[in-house]
Amino acid sequence: MALEFQQVTYTYPGGAGERRIGLDALDLVLQEGRFIAVLGASGSGKSTLLQHFNGILLPTGGQLLILDYTLTPGMSGKGMKELRRRVGLAFQFPEQQLFAETVEEDLLYGPRNFGMKPEDARIAAHKAAKALGLGEELLGRNPFHLSGGQMRKTAIATVLAADPDVLVLDEPAATLDQASREELLTLLADLCRQEGKTVILVTHRLEEVLPYAEEYVLMDQGKAVFHGSPRELLETDGLMERAGIVAPPAVRFLRSFSERFGTSLPDGPYRADELARFIRDVIRKEPPACPIA
Amino acid sequence: MSNRMIMGKYINTGSWMHQLDPRAKTIAMLLFMVAVFLVRSSVDLVILAAYSVAVMATTRISFRTYARSLRPLLFLMVFIFVFHVLFDTGGSWYVDLGPVKFYSGGLQKGFLSVSRMVLFVAFTAVLTLTTPPLLLTQALESLMKPLALVGLSPRKITLMLTTSLRFIPTVFEEANKILRAQASRGMDLRDQNVLQKAKLLISLLVPVTVGAIRRASELVDSMEARGYRLHAPRSRFHELTWGWGDTLLVGSTALLIGITQLV
Repeated sequence: MALEFQQVTYTYPGGAGERRIGLDALDLVLQEGRFIAVLGASGSGKSTLLQHFNGILLPTGGQLLILDYTLTPGMSGKGMKELRRRVGLAFQFPEQQLFAETVEEDLLYGPRNFGMKPEDARIAAHKAAKALGLGEELLGRNPFHLSGGQMRKTAIATVLAADPDVLVLDEPAATLDQASREELLTLLADLCRQEGKTVILVTHRLEEVLPYAEEYVLMDQGKAVFHGSPRELLETDGLMERAGIVAPPAVRFLRSFSERFGTSLPDGPYRADELARFIRDVIRKEPPACPIA
Repeated sequence: MSNRMIMGKYINTGSWMHQLDPRAKTIAMLLFMVAVFLVRSSVDLVILAAYSVAVMATTRISFRTYARSLRPLLFLMVFIFVFHVLFDTGGSWYVDLGPVKFYSGGLQKGFLSVSRMVLFVAFTAVLTLTTPPLLLTQALESLMKPLALVGLSPRKITLMLTTSLRFIPTVFEEANKILRAQASRGMDLRDQNVLQKAKLLISLLVPVTVGAIRRASELVDSMEARGYRLHAPRSRFHELTWGWGDTLLVGSTALLIGITQLV
């Protein structure tokens, strides 16, 4: 089943002259079971896009087909519980997402509301905490007394605890250290590959999702200016630059390498060991005439 | 939620009223408040309403915007009106509806109280809609200078006021974000009955208060890190200047008190 945006427009409410367009006649079709990264400069509409997936924001124009639901302008917004059980959303700032008195209470909030039995909810909460590396000793603590990284992990765990089919995450790895970042992204990739969950995440760091993302969506001024494979994203000249994204050094190296050797990049995702193998194979086949700049 | 908050929001239309000294507008508002509380009859009300409408018209801000500033107080106004109608037994006639009797005095007092509130809130909105918050606090600091004689610090008071005003939309925005997070995890305010809605809103108190205290503490640190000292001498980017328009506004509002007392 697809997640489909048809000419979706979202305008933030405000007085005359203050109205800001979040999405502008956006067309986008995403397939389930994929690991999808959403890129874009600040203010390009990434967070607005994500909040449409579970009906937190409703379109002001066009329509969305999400799983079995059709979201249209002017809907009351009532009766979205089942959609929200199936589409879990982690917001950009964890401190604005946590509200219970203890970490455990916060983890139990979603599963309980979605109708899990108390014991099952407790098991799901503990499983999510463990998956995110949150020790048992943290469960009794106030979420506002946690460190920034722990708070971020708790916010993501609250979403995982409800076991949604689609995971929508707004910059989930921001404020995490390198090791935690890799652990989190590996966990998400495993959920995608092994359990068939759809992962849609916003990031500002292209290099951190290169090893995992199977598809990319590039946002610019409320429109999806690109949706395609990692190879297309990297090989299309000036695409990222036009959307206000500076290609990270690893991407610049890959582009330069493929140009120098006149070879096409592999399809991706780009894991470091697979890329090393690709580079070795190309060099063995055709050694460079001069050293790579 | 914050987008619907009209109180404290500055709208620049470049009108005559916008150019006036904020001290004059503040004094005029206080004088108008006195006039409103001295209202005794419907004639007084009409005079004040006409003056108020004339002042609002000079701001070139739509009357709809002023009407929106009354919206948060709608429930309170209805409550005050109903309270007077139900419990005030004065007046020359009454309507008997079996278990309940409506007295003309109650109706009159209810109408007068609600009208006073409407006039006062709408006129106050002239001040906040036409004056940037920084100039407003500068005016308050200037007007409160005599308080220094009794050991109170006008700068401290205005800093507290500025900070509070600055954080009102932020606190609303924060509450809204928590409501969205709760909706995202299966507890949408729109799906709940009145009792559950009240429970949900009460559950916001702790995280929103914690958030506000955290923000206030961060703000203090940030101000101190940038060299702010409360009583250090400081210059002003905008110097307040009093002109003939300011005298006209204050004078006409003072005259209003006299007229309503004579009529």
